[in-house]
Amino acid sequence: MSAHDARMTAEVCVIGAGAGGAVAAAELAEGGMSVTLLEEGHWHDPDSFTARPPQMLAKLYRDASQTVTLGNPPILLPLGRGLGGTTLVNSGTCFRTPPYVLERWQREFGLEVSEESLRPCFERVEEALSVSEVTPELAGANAGVARRGAERLGWSHGYLRRNAKGCVGSGVCAFGCPTSAKQHTGITYIPRARAAGARIVTGAQVERVLVEPSRTGGRSSQRAVGVTARMAGGARVQVSAPIVIVAAGTIHTPLLLARSGLGRASGQLGRNLSLHPATAAFARMEEIVDMAKGVPQSFYVDEFAGDGIIFEGVAGPPSYAAMSLPLTGERHARAMADYRHLAQFGLMVSDSSRGSVRSVAGKALIHYELSNDDLQRFRTGLARMRELFEAAGAREVYLPLPAGVDPVRARRSDLKLMAFHPLGTARADARASEGVLDGDLKVHGAQGVYVADGSAVPSSLGVNPQMTIMALATRLAFSLLGQDFDLDNDGPGKSDGARKSVAAPA
Amino acid sequence: MAAGSRPHDPLDAFIAAAPLFQRIGMRALIALSRRRTGAALIARVPAAAQLAQVIEGLGRYDDPELARSLGWDADAVVARGRALRRAERRP
Repeated sequence: MSAHDARMTAEVCVIGAGAGGAVAAAELAEGGMSVTLLEEGHWHDPDSFTARPPQMLAKLYRDASQTVTLGNPPILLPLGRGLGGTTLVNSGTCFRTPPYVLERWQREFGLEVSEESLRPCFERVEEALSVSEVTPELAGANAGVARRGAERLGWSHGYLRRNAKGCVGSGVCAFGCPTSAKQHTGITYIPRARAAGARIVTGAQVERVLVEPSRTGGRSSQRAVGVTARMAGGARVQVSAPIVIVAAGTIHTPLLLARSGLGRASGQLGRNLSLHPATAAFARMEEIVDMAKGVPQSFYVDEFAGDGIIFEGVAGPPSYAAMSLPLTGERHARAMADYRHLAQFGLMVSDSSRGSVRSVAGKALIHYELSNDDLQRFRTGLARMRELFEAAGAREVYLPLPAGVDPVRARRSDLKLMAFHPLGTARADARASEGVLDGDLKVHGAQGVYVADGSAVPSSLGVNPQMTIMALATRLAFSLLGQDFDLDNDGPGKSDGARKSVAAPA
Repeated sequence: MAAGSRPHDPLDAFIAAAPLFQRIGMRALIALSRRRTGAALIARVPAAAQLAQVIEGLGRYDDPELARSLGWDADAVVARGRALRRAERRP
């Protein structure tokens, strides 16, 4: 290392400050461990938020939000970058992991997780993030349109729970909350971590996790000794740590593990990518909607959740609407002239398709083909979406399909998809032959290397994943602190402050 | 398409921050769309027309005056946010 390079020492090095990394860092630091967190992005001062999508897409997202999958159809996959990760730019929707998903994890992946065992983790996260249900007043008229349609059709629906405090419905959750109402991890867990003594390093691109040979139970293995990173200015940082928690996100965690020679034995690293592919439709209403006034994602319709289809609100300012409105030319201009009367709603599929991610010339190459089953879900979902808007009294419905294409006959290439919930590329499975991580989220065959982000999640959830990721990160932190999670204990930082033991590697 | 041609265009930063492939594609579309024959060519390829619409829409409707005429005032939203953060000592 040169004279300009830096060396640090910590008990735990956390990579990534999103939903998983920030939570793990704060809980561990409050539990008394010395923590260094490395984040590739930077702190984004809310004073720099302009509520103007083009500027904010370039500023808050990786690759200006233009990460895209290869396959049929290509899918836009926006990823946040900065302190807070994607929690900085998501809609703030908070669902606990559905019980039937946890049962599947037990049955198919041998994971010891249940609704009951995760409940205190969820409660702890929800308290930290001020999670509460959106009120009808704050939800705005866009949600009102969907509610009216769902009520007329007798479809199951409700207002969403969100991590927001003092929200006034600015309408730009995805472009930087100007009121700091959204409780993303950059303004919740990161300050807690810092206050508890964690060192937070931004602008650090982690090159690899450092390991050395080890023997565990007579078998050769590897154990973590630290992390190397390169700073934006070119200097290197080396963090010596016996525990490394990788939370670089579902797309980049498998690439980092692969670069580090970790997690490859099962052949599952970088595979099993699920995305929750999504699309959105518009409707022109009689009344003024002003879709960006209110919480953009405040309402859901889960009538078809059993079929893997859920509707959730989406909305935004005119420039956002203009880029997603599925019309061209004069029809586009006419519809935009009526922007105040436009309503929009999203359709998300709990996918059975699986993709993969690998590194090509140092860049993430994401491959994902939509399966026949998921294509059918979109056909059904779009037809139902039209029903919803028509029941709400829409004068015209604009489905995201080429002109003249009926939803039931849509082909893959007709769909215009986005995705916001990549999961599964370093999936947990109790069997080392089937998964990258064990049930404690430790990399199989490596001591001291853990994963705490969406890549650990072994299957599609059918709901927004941030709470699942945060709850799993909380559970991991408590496990590393050697503390059982029980409801009578407010947590490591608020009880006696002394950890019982640290699961340091052999 | 005027997008991408104005000084301090809001699309400049957006396009500059995009991955190489998309950056080249978007700039090519903008250049093509400025010519009558190019625009006609784009209109014949649905995927290109859709992408051109995305770029055009993002740039055109970000204009504060046009956005205000459609009921959206970004400056007011930001000002309210700042005032709230100051008044309530939010982060």
